Amino acid sequence: MGITIRRLLRRPLTALGIVLVLVHLTVALIAPSIVPFDPFKLLDAPLEPPGTTYWLGTDELGRDFLSRLLMGGRIAIVASLAAGFIATLGGGLLGLAMAYYRGPFDDVVSRIVEMKLAIPSILFVSLFVTGFGQSLAVLVFVMAVIKMMGVIRTVRAQGIVLMEQGYVKVAQMRGEHGPAIILREMLPNVADLLTVEFALRTSSALLLVSALSFLGLGLSPPTPDWGLMIHDGLQSIRSEPWLILAPALCISTLVIGLNFATEGIADAVGLEAARGVAGH
Amino acid sequence: MLSAVLRRVFLSLLTLFFLAAFIFAATEILPGDALDVTLSADEMAMMPPERLAEMKRDLGLDRPAVERLGAFLLGVAQLDFGRTIISRAPVVDIVAYPLRNSLLLAGAVIVTALPLALILGVSAARWYRRPLDNVVSTGVIVGYSVPEFVIGTFLVMLFAVTWPLFPATITASTRDPALTLLAAAPLPVATILIGSIAYLARILRVGMVDALASDFVERLRLMGVPEWRVLLLHALPAAVVPSLMATALYAAALVSGIVVVELVFAYPGLGQELVRAVTRREVHVIQAIALASAAIVVVFNLLADLAILALDPRTRM
Repeated sequence: MGITIRRLLRRPLTALGIVLVLVHLTVALIAPSIVPFDPFKLLDAPLEPPGTTYWLGTDELGRDFLSRLLMGGRIAIVASLAAGFIATLGGGLLGLAMAYYRGPFDDVVSRIVEMKLAIPSILFVSLFVTGFGQSLAVLVFVMAVIKMMGVIRTVRAQGIVLMEQGYVKVAQMRGEHGPAIILREMLPNVADLLTVEFALRTSSALLLVSALSFLGLGLSPPTPDWGLMIHDGLQSIRSEPWLILAPALCISTLVIGLNFATEGIADAVGLEAARGVAGH
Repeated sequence: MLSAVLRRVFLSLLTLFFLAAFIFAATEILPGDALDVTLSADEMAMMPPERLAEMKRDLGLDRPAVERLGAFLLGVAQLDFGRTIISRAPVVDIVAYPLRNSLLLAGAVIVTALPLALILGVSAARWYRRPLDNVVSTGVIVGYSVPEFVIGTFLVMLFAVTWPLFPATITASTRDPALTLLAAAPLPVATILIGSIAYLARILRVGMVDALASDFVERLRLMGVPEWRVLLLHALPAAVVPSLMATALYAAALVSGIVVVELVFAYPGLGQELVRAVTRREVHVIQAIALASAAIVVVFNLLADLAILALDPRTRM
């Protein structure tokens, strides 16, 4: 483990990625206790320029922009982590079960996965937002379903490779049952893959949720959120460009950091992250 | 060969059929019927029950779900998506031009992205783990990490505000001729291009690295075949086949990207129409847009399958 971490940090981009992710996570964790003002409160005239009271000025409603910026990643990060986790766990178990049992179960789920991949993510979310309303729970659930498809494919392929190795046969001869073999023999052997998948799916969930918020289909105002902030900032792009630049920098450094780190981790455990990429 | 082609065409149609059924179920069966989805809970409560029942009867919503699904699928087969619930406008008229406009955008992106991605992917693989490859690979990660709407707003800041070379928003309207729209759209195209090139170059690079490491390339080199011939005539076709397998994913990502970028630039395409329809809760328009986008992906995938069939003799069984 120690050697792996040292090897990770030797690659400058991986180290940069890990630092970026840690900084963002720390800020997101401690934001409520370090914000100078209440991010929801209308404090002053709208669009005040940056100054000594409001370091980054006020937004179009007169709220402190720095406070909103510091808080702006929290909900999106939590939602993406939750979606990424559900997708990885659910997709991992499903993928292994498909590789173990094969047959009609494998065929049906494979066809469903292929079909789902034909509906672009944003359209998929729109369908469910239209039907079930725009809530955080719906959003996390739908994102988890979307991101699960890629995990199922990758883990199933790996599971089929595992099936050809001896120890699954040995476990079968010991008289162990399918679920026990999947959980005890196969799951530990895809742990590395699942770690990389979790990071990949979380970062693409982050891209998705911020794009949705930008479109007005994700998180709703007055939640402080980078995607929403960029959308609102478009109105004053000529006069107050920092209202866009600051949240744009935040979301971009977070996703870039996450992907640099993922690439390094994938490389360290001997996986090619490129094969798992599932688009946005 | 012909039967292999027909089989794939049939499978694509079958996929579209199931997708249409899924889209209907997700919007009009699981959450209630079209009227439940269109009206808010408050509007529902305000309405006298007999008026509501009358509306449901007029819209044919008093029929069982299976019957409504059947009617929907029959309509879709004839390219009839019904009318909007409130204004009673035919959905096809609302969606047709935005669909054409989005396809124009997609076409322009693909035509530009493919050659650039080919050059980047092939040269990165040729100089694998050398400085050029490192630059390309890092650029690729950055390219698909930065959200499209961030790239779009950056381009607006640079080329519409700082140096006003292009308009910040598209002034062309929905029914303008194709060339007018394309001429107005260099910034939206450039925005989607960055993500597209990153995606395609990454996939091609992996395929090329695998192909260049294989035995047949080693043999060709030992036989003294010139390096450019090995790269372009032997390794590239072998790398393209696995890349084509990722076409559905790319097409879906492309459509999602287009939806977002249209909003940034107010380009009159499906994305604009989608967001408008979601805010007004026009169920039938959303269904039509979802199915149109799914059809784009399915058609792309079919074309890729046919290309694989043409390139790889082993698949012609």
